[in-house]
Amino acid sequence: MGSQMSSPWAFWATFLSGAVFFAFFVAALFFRKFAQRTGDRFFSFFAGAFTLLALERISSQMAAVREAVGPATYLLRLAAFALIMIAVIDKNRRARVE
Amino acid sequence: MAAWIYLTCALGSIACAGLLIRSYWRSPSKLLLWTAVCFACLAGNNVLLYVDLVVTGPEIDLSALRQLASLLGASALVYGLIEEVV
Repeated sequence: MGSQMSSPWAFWATFLSGAVFFAFFVAALFFRKFAQRTGDRFFSFFAGAFTLLALERISSQMAAVREAVGPATYLLRLAAFALIMIAVIDKNRRARVE
Repeated sequence: MAAWIYLTCALGSIACAGLLIRSYWRSPSKLLLWTAVCFACLAGNNVLLYVDLVVTGPEIDLSALRQLASLLGASALVYGLIEEVV
């Protein structure tokens, strides 16, 4: 990662990462609203997942964290993917029961 | 250790994309479609992450391409969410 900071693409990577953070944040807000409106925990899981993905964007761009923690920030991504899988499996299971 | 984390991210995101695509196949809805597109792009991002940080050397930098894949996916999802509301 250290060599990537001196890469000519580093500016674009950082710029686009900020845009991705905002998109994930907006998606989390939408899903949170859907969860409030419908009471369906499927949307709550998705809101949580996109919140984690947004936080992961912040943590991976923090220079101090990048040096000290490195790949551990990607565990936030894994947690988000786990939430998505739980949401879909839970939804399918409930649909079968009904 | 780092390589395992990146590989697990790639496999996890591919699994999410697969589950969402299957859910869309069973009960088509526009929101599910755009969510599946989002996670397909995120799967691409995570595969590129593994390739960038494990397979290729430091002379090749795929970070901007990775972020672009994420942005495409996130943008598709936000578009789908706005379509759902409006």
